Amino acid sequence: MGLVFALSPLLIIAVGALLLMMAEVFFKQRNGLALGATLVFATAGAFAGSIWMVGVENLPGIEALSPWLITDRFTLFFDMILCLGGALASLLAGGYLPEHNIDRGEFYSLLLFATFGAMMLAGSGDLLTVFLGLETMSLGAYALTAFRRASPRSIEGALKYYLLGSFAAAVLIYGFALIYGATGHTDLAGITQVMASGKAEMPLMLMALGLVFVGLVFKVSGVPFHMWTPDAYEGAPTPATTYMAVAVKSGGFAMMLRVLLTVFGDAQSMSWSSGWPPAMAMVAVLTMTVANLVAGRQESVKRMLAYSSIAHAGYLLVGVVATMRSQTQASAAVMFYLLTYTVSTAGAFGALILCGSRGAEAVSYEDLAGLGRRHPAAALPFALFLLSLAGIPPTAGFFGKWFVFHAAIDGGFYALTIIAFINSVIGAYYYLRVLVYMYMREPAAGAPVAIPMKSGYVTAALVLSAILVIALGLAPAGTLDMAVQAATHSAG
Amino acid sequence: MNLAQVFFFLCAAGTLVGAIAAVASKNPIRGALGLMVMIMGIAALYLGLGAQFLAAIQLIVYAGAVVVLFLFVIMLLGPDATSATDMRGLAPRVLAGVLFAVTGGAAISLTIAVSKHHMIPRVGPDFGGVDAFGRELFSTGIVPFELSSALLMVSVIGAIAIARGKHGGLPGELKSADEIRASLAAQATSSEEHG
Amino acid sequence: MIATYAPIFLILVLSSLIAGAFFTGASFLGTKKPTHEKMLPFECGSESTGGRHVKLSVKFYLTAILFVVFDVEAVFVYPWAVQFRSLGWLGLGSMFGFLAVVVVALIYVWKKGALEWES
Repeated sequence: MGLVFALSPLLIIAVGALLLMMAEVFFKQRNGLALGATLVFATAGAFAGSIWMVGVENLPGIEALSPWLITDRFTLFFDMILCLGGALASLLAGGYLPEHNIDRGEFYSLLLFATFGAMMLAGSGDLLTVFLGLETMSLGAYALTAFRRASPRSIEGALKYYLLGSFAAAVLIYGFALIYGATGHTDLAGITQVMASGKAEMPLMLMALGLVFVGLVFKVSGVPFHMWTPDAYEGAPTPATTYMAVAVKSGGFAMMLRVLLTVFGDAQSMSWSSGWPPAMAMVAVLTMTVANLVAGRQESVKRMLAYSSIAHAGYLLVGVVATMRSQTQASAAVMFYLLTYTVSTAGAFGALILCGSRGAEAVSYEDLAGLGRRHPAAALPFALFLLSLAGIPPTAGFFGKWFVFHAAIDGGFYALTIIAFINSVIGAYYYLRVLVYMYMREPAAGAPVAIPMKSGYVTAALVLSAILVIALGLAPAGTLDMAVQAATHSAG
Repeated sequence: MNLAQVFFFLCAAGTLVGAIAAVASKNPIRGALGLMVMIMGIAALYLGLGAQFLAAIQLIVYAGAVVVLFLFVIMLLGPDATSATDMRGLAPRVLAGVLFAVTGGAAISLTIAVSKHHMIPRVGPDFGGVDAFGRELFSTGIVPFELSSALLMVSVIGAIAIARGKHGGLPGELKSADEIRASLAAQATSSEEHG
Repeated sequence: MIATYAPIFLILVLSSLIAGAFFTGASFLGTKKPTHEKMLPFECGSESTGGRHVKLSVKFYLTAILFVVFDVEAVFVYPWAVQFRSLGWLGLGSMFGFLAVVVVALIYVWKKGALEWES
């Protein structure tokens, strides 16, 4: 019984998705699907929460599935983030898809199964299930990107994402194969043991580290493996972009923390002189700087948000580097950041969806000119989420950045922290530029302007994210404590 | 050199020839057939390792289904879609391949040269047969087996989502695949005129 | 190990030898009198038009990918069927769980009309 309870988040997503699919084809349901998918996500998230409350240590027999699937607080924390991201994306889709006449039920099934893959990824304790989860998540994301298939931009983005993503998956599994060759194990605990005993074949292991590193950085779209991101994010329907920016990225970071900190978590691999941290620091600096500089030059707000999500991956990588010195504190900071980033980014994309309607979409900065005066109800949430993304108190984004930078300073990475800080100042420029257009500019005479849409679903998603952004900004302590527990009780 | 070694080198040579044909051939259909030769070579290598089941799967799924899928896609795009003379980025591509091959070869030969421990456990003679595979899959591997159904499911839904259903382009964008093709053809002719 | 498959390879070698012999024999022994008319491409008696390949509909692609998916599913059934008795109830249950998901996929595909050619 404990086993079924421990697996319930995954089971609920899977069974819920199958039931929704049947409801879709037998009852020709259209309008209820978004609500149904949201409810499935909410139930799975609630079950993850209740397992957290009961405590995994009080559930007998849950080791039966290890090492394939591990249920610990790390898994549960990520389950909750992923379910939140999935729920927000399906609420946004409930408003966006009918408005833009691409209302097909496959979207929700894809969302649910991709999240199933992401949760599998977060909970896997074996390289085999890591790869299965990764592919399930990625295939869903590729199909979501190509969902608007009559649009050449959507297809172009999806094709780039698919080809480069498959290549990265091949590099990753090459690395996994070498790890197996070097240690004779595919389960993370067994690999750690062999590494600790010093019996692993180090030349193979080093090559594996290089390959796995590239695969992981690709999946979280770190520079220089980010080329697919702007096109995929811009071409995809906006709810799918939200999902990729939020849930797929969280899944990628869950995999990164789990694999890097166990398999390559030994003293040598985590040292500054002979391990992965310097390479990761380099990637973090490049990611932040390049993404922020390019984001400032974008004319499309959606593309700007895509670059902004790359920049946020850079800040998160700073936290990953900091795990070298203080593993618990830094991983907790990364997890907390992911939560704040999830609510802020989903909110920002949601606000962008709300600001436009069919034929009058909000695309460029000019489209948003004067929105604050014409439609204050649409402009206000947008402003809130952009402030949170910029990291201005008292929003959630401020504390996300604060804890990551704090962990980096505690680890002694002063230069890295200063670069990250300068970058968040640059980032504030292009976020505030949207506010300037919304509140201080008037559209040129006769220029096309965005007309906000009306949708209960989108409004619900925005209200939910706004509450979380403010609540996490005013009282981050409880959630941070949960993240610390999750980081402490992870297998790493 | 004994019989097993002769067999290995023959199959490895066939696999390499197929692989080179797959990437170097200018005609995509020949490339797909090169891939098929490579897949058959790998299946024979599996057979040499005593992994009969894996060899059979390799033939059924890859040679039988995946290559056919590739051929479908090539036919779908038509001969005009091939860009045999695309030399952009040739230097970095070659460099990446060489770098990959050199580091991989170095790591593996270093391991063989200095290896003290044999980390991969030895297996019994019946390991690769369908009986042993079934026992293994349905005892220790039962969890990933069940989870793989989600992967199959997501690919089915993804295929339907992309290949079926009504269109929904962005306003001001091209509406149908035919229009896209027509505009691509127009672009191609105009660039030919200019070039 | 190799000896088990020796007959198969013998057949492979023999069959390729025989096929090769027929081909080379035909090209060496047969008489060839090429004329201009004979060398023209032949297509049902009329002048050939169009490219060498035909463009196929996207439906072929969908059918092919669905085939691959269900092919992979069938692959898992072989080892299960071979070991059916020794796997017991756990084996039966796990295969039923797996097949249930695949059957849902099949129903979904069917009801979506992805198996219909004309639509």
